[in-house]
Amino acid sequence: MRATRPVSSAFYYGLLGLLVVAYLVPVTWVISTSLRTNANLLRPDQWIPNPITFEHYTTGLLDALPNLARYTFNTLRIAGLSTLGMLLSCSLAGYALARWRFPLRNVWFYGLLATMMVPGHVTLIPTYVLFRKLGWLNTPNPLIIPAFFGSPFATFFFRQFFLAFPRELEDAATMDGAGALRTFRSIVLPVSKPAFIALGVLHFTGMWNGFFLPIIYLQRKEQWVLTQAIRSLLGRYDSPWGEIMAGVVLMTLPIVLMYVLVQRYFVQGITFSGIRG
Amino acid sequence: MTRFLNIRRSAIVNPWREASPQERRRWLTAYAFMSLQLIGLFVFVLGPLVVSLYYTFTRWDLIAPAPKWTGLGNWQHIFQDPRIIQVLGNTIWFILWATSSFLILSLALAVLLNQRRRGTTLFRALFFLPYITSQVAVGLVWSWMFNTRSGPLPVFFRHLGLEIPNLLLDESYAMMAVATVATWQALGYGITIYLAGLQGIPGELYDAASVDGATGWQQFRFVTMPLLSPVVLFLTVTSFIAAFQLFDLVVILTGGATGVAPGGPGGSTRTIVLYLYEQTFLFSERISGLGYGATIGWILAALIFVVTMAQFRFARSTVFYLRDEER
Repeated sequence: MRATRPVSSAFYYGLLGLLVVAYLVPVTWVISTSLRTNANLLRPDQWIPNPITFEHYTTGLLDALPNLARYTFNTLRIAGLSTLGMLLSCSLAGYALARWRFPLRNVWFYGLLATMMVPGHVTLIPTYVLFRKLGWLNTPNPLIIPAFFGSPFATFFFRQFFLAFPRELEDAATMDGAGALRTFRSIVLPVSKPAFIALGVLHFTGMWNGFFLPIIYLQRKEQWVLTQAIRSLLGRYDSPWGEIMAGVVLMTLPIVLMYVLVQRYFVQGITFSGIRG
Repeated sequence: MTRFLNIRRSAIVNPWREASPQERRRWLTAYAFMSLQLIGLFVFVLGPLVVSLYYTFTRWDLIAPAPKWTGLGNWQHIFQDPRIIQVLGNTIWFILWATSSFLILSLALAVLLNQRRRGTTLFRALFFLPYITSQVAVGLVWSWMFNTRSGPLPVFFRHLGLEIPNLLLDESYAMMAVATVATWQALGYGITIYLAGLQGIPGELYDAASVDGATGWQQFRFVTMPLLSPVVLFLTVTSFIAAFQLFDLVVILTGGATGVAPGGPGGSTRTIVLYLYEQTFLFSERISGLGYGATIGWILAALIFVVTMAQFRFARSTVFYLRDEER
């Protein structure tokens, strides 16, 4: 019998450290560039900027994008409201699919499952025509309203989550005569935080980072979201790299903070729903 | 005939009539809970699917009041369109590079991080960072990384005495460069999913294997790999589907600047979705407007369907599931 020899800690951490540093070179480069003066911007030897300046974050970014507050508000509104809508519609549907037998249940369930495979690009054009008829171009509606009417993936996720969840508590509540909606709100919601947070964070991040739908639906400048605004800084021949990198840092920071805050729930939510197959 | 129909009619049970009042109430509640999602399924998925199939037989530029029927025109055109061949080739080239490097590298890193040691959580978080960043941000950063005037990569190689061109401007390397960036961004996700799978493998199996004298590689090959195969399948299927839909990253990396058409150089990075976007929304490119865009969309859906089915089929003989009592 041969015991596997444990790799020494020094070697292990050395290797891992090296990999992480190499992996994060672009990230450090972004931060470093955002803190350089314009004179030092293109100097490859200035990993640690000298002198350090915050001018790109303040005057620089505001000069380049005077409507930055507006773009931030637009992005926040779209990401926030559509997350809310998705959580509402999909948790209810997922709960019904997991808890009750009713006519055609399996038809709906497999129907939803099948549509998960249909790429959004097939349905994009008719929905575009529909929203155009409704006069919704250059309004945030096309990015918000559909979320209130479910999403097959999220509904499936919630179903899996509720299936794995003990139903004794709810049975007790139902016997007390509480209606289904009240049971859902007062018994199920509080204990399902991990699922709501995991899915909410995923969806919010996707909307916050999104680009494809915004460039289709939000062409007027005052409706832009952050991704469009930062992209508009790229010039044909030269670009204000300091401001661009500052913008990249600023738009990524809230998402990173969010993940740090909810990390614990996030892992729980993912494992509960049985994504690991 | 009527007799026959009568028999048939009575054979069909009307569940509503048979149900007790409580059951009926429960059904109504269930449908009330499902209502938003069901409306969405019809209004935003099934309805548009039918309409978009109809559009493939029409020409429409959104200026004319209604689509004009052109029969099989779009379908005939798409099989003779030299652009579509190039676009499919580009997309497949991207998929092969991006998914293979993604699946292998993230597995290697996950195995490395699957250790009971201090600090692995921190390392995992660091690898996860690019994944939660917008593809727009990632694209902006990397378009500068590749920049020959000031970007770190060319400058680094210049210090070593090597002149490298801007890979994004080189027809034969641009798509590979895009794939590298995509892999770089997605690694953290792959690592997370693989780690969840690795941690679900019972430790006794490794003990048993090492008692039998299996080396580290043999343990990986005969214990880890089979038990991890469902996770590999999941990641393969989802990463292929995502790779088929590449758009944001390629737009920023190859045409970020206003006035520069993405998809270059020489159309070498034009993907299916980018082509769909151009044909539907950009006036300069249009062949039959929405109609052709919808046709491209259906080609994309068909490809994804066929590839996914093929993967599941292949998986039937290769993926290994641990039975519940063995867990």
